[in-house]
Amino acid sequence: MDQKQRSSFTSPSTSKTPESFNPNYAHSQFNSQTQTQYPNPFGIPSQLIDSQSPEWDPQALLSNLSFLEQKIHQAQNIVQEMIRTNEGQNCIFSEAEMTAQRYLLTTDLTSIIIQVISAAGSFLPSIRTPFLWGNPPISQLGSSIASASNLGPSPNLYQPNPNPDCEELTKGWEENGVEEGADQIQVEDLDVKESEDVDQDGDNLPIGTYEVLQLEKEEILAPHTHFCTICGKGFKRDANLRMHMRGHGDEYKNPAALAKPVREPGSQPVPVKRYSCPFVGCKRNKEHKNFQPLKNLLCVKNHYKRSHCEKSYTCSRCNTKKFSVIADLKTHEKHCGSDKWLCSCGTTFTRKDKLFGHVALFQGHTPALPTDEMKGKNEEIDDKNDSGGVGYNNGDEYLDMKGGYFSPVVNLDSFSFEGLNDFSMTVFDPTESSFHFLQSGSPGFSQKDPGN
Amino acid sequence: MCNITVVLSSDLLAQVLDWLHDSKDLKSCRLVSRVFLQAERMHRKAIRPLRLGPLPVLLRRYATSLLSLDLSSCPSLDDVALSVSIPCPNNLRSVSLSRASGVTWRGLKVLVSVCPKIEAIDISYCTGFGDREAAAVAKASGLKELKIDKCLQVTDVGLAKVAVGCSGLERLGIKWCREISDIGIDLLAKKCLELRELDISYLKVGNESLRSIASLAKLENLALVGCQYVDDEGLYFLSNRNNSLQIIDVSRCVNVTSAGLTTLAIGHQHLRKINAGNCSPVITSTFVSKLCMLGETLNILKLDGLQLPVSALETVGLNCRNLLEIGLSKCNGVTDEGISRLVEGCSDLSTIDLTCCHLLTDESLFSIAASCRGVKSLRLESCVLISEKGLDQVATSCADLKEIDLTDCNVNDSALKCLSRCSELRILKLGLCSGVSDIGLAFIGTNCTKLLELDLYRCTAVTDDGLASISNGCKRMKKLNLCYCNQISDTGLAHLRLLEELSDLELRGIVRITSSGITAMTMGCRSLTQLDLKRCYSVDDTGMWALAQYTENLRQLTISYCTVTGLGLCHLLGSLRCIQDVKMVHLSWVSIEGFEIALRSACRKLKKVKLLSGLQDVLSPELLQSLQARGCCIRWVNKPLVFKG
Repeated sequence: MDQKQRSSFTSPSTSKTPESFNPNYAHSQFNSQTQTQYPNPFGIPSQLIDSQSPEWDPQALLSNLSFLEQKIHQAQNIVQEMIRTNEGQNCIFSEAEMTAQRYLLTTDLTSIIIQVISAAGSFLPSIRTPFLWGNPPISQLGSSIASASNLGPSPNLYQPNPNPDCEELTKGWEENGVEEGADQIQVEDLDVKESEDVDQDGDNLPIGTYEVLQLEKEEILAPHTHFCTICGKGFKRDANLRMHMRGHGDEYKNPAALAKPVREPGSQPVPVKRYSCPFVGCKRNKEHKNFQPLKNLLCVKNHYKRSHCEKSYTCSRCNTKKFSVIADLKTHEKHCGSDKWLCSCGTTFTRKDKLFGHVALFQGHTPALPTDEMKGKNEEIDDKNDSGGVGYNNGDEYLDMKGGYFSPVVNLDSFSFEGLNDFSMTVFDPTESSFHFLQSGSPGFSQKDPGN
Repeated sequence: MCNITVVLSSDLLAQVLDWLHDSKDLKSCRLVSRVFLQAERMHRKAIRPLRLGPLPVLLRRYATSLLSLDLSSCPSLDDVALSVSIPCPNNLRSVSLSRASGVTWRGLKVLVSVCPKIEAIDISYCTGFGDREAAAVAKASGLKELKIDKCLQVTDVGLAKVAVGCSGLERLGIKWCREISDIGIDLLAKKCLELRELDISYLKVGNESLRSIASLAKLENLALVGCQYVDDEGLYFLSNRNNSLQIIDVSRCVNVTSAGLTTLAIGHQHLRKINAGNCSPVITSTFVSKLCMLGETLNILKLDGLQLPVSALETVGLNCRNLLEIGLSKCNGVTDEGISRLVEGCSDLSTIDLTCCHLLTDESLFSIAASCRGVKSLRLESCVLISEKGLDQVATSCADLKEIDLTDCNVNDSALKCLSRCSELRILKLGLCSGVSDIGLAFIGTNCTKLLELDLYRCTAVTDDGLASISNGCKRMKKLNLCYCNQISDTGLAHLRLLEELSDLELRGIVRITSSGITAMTMGCRSLTQLDLKRCYSVDDTGMWALAQYTENLRQLTISYCTVTGLGLCHLLGSLRCIQDVKMVHLSWVSIEGFEIALRSACRKLKKVKLLSGLQDVLSPELLQSLQARGCCIRWVNKPLVFKG
């Protein structure tokens, strides 16, 4: 990361793209694409990066320190401004704007802390390398630090301030090469469904090389992290909020307001963060003896929802599968109905070999025929459903309409159990011919061909 | 007259009955007295009714002692018929419903539920059967033997049902079930550990299946005929673990080469039978030399269609001393020398198949006659170079000869004179031998009185007199082929009435015969089940009436090109109670209504029909639907429909 920092301070990029009025932005994006992609599924050997980044660089440290100085000045200014406003009792700022100011201050302070740590961290070679590969998105880091260090847990930490003054301030950041959250959007898009296993396989950090953070349940489950200061609407992504803000007036339409908030310059060399699940007893909880940390906030969210929350999203097609993560539901719905491999125990499989592996494993399980999946349940109904089947129809075969003209009558309406209604209606078409069975009155068999 | 029952106690009678195999003999035994009837009732274990009608009576009579029930010949068998036929308290161990296309899974469910002791079920060739039927059968948890050959709709799921439901299965045939894949076979191998016999011929399975099958520790008999995706690697898997194998059939596995066969020979020390016919044709000397490892056990070796040089046959002769049967049909390059080297070693050979080994001459027959005196079956089709000299030698030495195939061998009457010395002859095939005439047949008729099967296809020199001598001599004849023997007339046909046991008769293309000949013949041949009258242009409705009246067991009939009218056809199809398969193409005198009514009258019985495709659109859809719903297979011949009526 030294290299990256250096470049952002010493050699401003000459990129001409309109959105990159921040010269460092394009560069950082380039970096993020080539070097720090999230997640890092293949674990590119860290030597690759090390070769590019020389040993500790005093120049970089100097830049770091001077940035710190600037930052502290900024913070001082804000505080002074706030005091002045309070003394003058001039209600120029609304209540919300005051809050925003305070958040800005918090951000500054956080950034200062990160910068200090990073400056110190550049002395410690042990943290540098893993950091490159394992760091969670900066914005998440920031928020986690905020919550972990009780700097004031705020859901809308990086919300751009509507105040023009603040805008200037932000601009100032950007000009200073402050970069933050450059990867955030990209990461979230990629990783909406990042599975817990991926990060587990991706890096196995030795214990002690990372810092363990634990968010509270409420924080994890908070649906939105970015709120509009004007109308209060919540968003999951800052980018979406910024787009939303345009609707509140022209002042939000300028490039400065629409641009990504820049990342703080010294934020990279923060120690590696890993997350602990707040659920005590969980393997992902830090108290667990085989604790396996979660890689990033997204993993925390998905893990917590999948493992410790109620599965409230039901598939509208099969009405049986339930999910707690909506992305899981969407993935399932893409394939629902193609889950045609069903075991007699009710488990479904998308692949035949998986079903057969399951059947081989469990005594007495058999693959279900395409139409008798509701075997057990159906048998209960059998008694009520006196459709003249003496001995031949042992319930479980009611659903079979394969033969077409034999089709026993299935009282589809009597299937009260959840989920079957839609399915059975679509599979079986109780045509006229299916009523032969009832009307014929012969014990067990429908009337035969009309020819006889 | 003293009462015979005093002398013959019931258990003595039972022992006598043990020796009676022929149904006619049993019938006359039954008719002796009530006591005999009772004894026969106690003794009988299996029945194979030809019609459903008498079935309830039969089943009541044999209810408790009956172990095996074969319903494969019954027409119009459906679920209802099946469920009412089978008595509820029964000891049935084995039921055959082969080709019972009218039965569905419901019937099978009933069958399985009312036969608690059932061990063997045969539902082969019910082409409409699928997973549901397999699932119904799988409910019989005590099942040891199951044949579902050519149940075309059975998939891995159905097989899995069977594998899980009948884990004690010992014999399984799933030939032609083309939907079954490696996955199903793998599960089968995991669940049915008792399997001894497995037939997976013509399946689209690959080496993975053999890897699974190799884990079956008790497997003795494995048939892999025509598994085109199996190759040497699969046989290698098989050889690695399983040593119980005794019989393996890899014929028509085109990707199996000598290397695979060699691993088989090395890996399985107890092999009794190897069928490697029509595999990859080049046979290496390694494989043949490795056969010595099986020298003690190997009885049957079939190498049809392979290239076998003299040295290979010599090695086989040296290594496989206990060989009883060898198949060398269509082997290129098999010469007299090769045969003589082979038979020198294998003196116990009883069946030798040399079909289409065109290079063989009398020399081969001489060496066979010299070395293998116990030969029972000799197939020499298309060995055009052999003559009566060789056959004379064979007939002299091999007195036990039961079957000889001389189709297309240009043999003449003197050869038949020599062969007639083999009084044990059961099967004689003389097709395309235009030199065979009445004189030769007279020798056969006089001496070979045990003949069961005679093939005179296109023996154009045969006339009515020849038939007279055959009919007078070979009274036990069951199968007779007289196709295109166009000198035969009604007189000759009338002689055939003496053959009371005749069941298969082919009269195709004998243009001179008329209905009167048919009438005369059918009056005697009451056991006919198959009759081919194609291109007997002079046979008309009268012949059909005769058939309807006398041949009540007729199951398969070809009347294409006959001058039958709608009336005759309706009467015929309506009356024949066992009819299942009718080929009626080019019946120009039958109107559409005639076809419609005739087919309706036989709708429940028919399993296979061959018709002109022009009828497809004019016959009522209800008729076609109900035919097909009962599993009847209609073959449409794409030729113009002509109506002359």
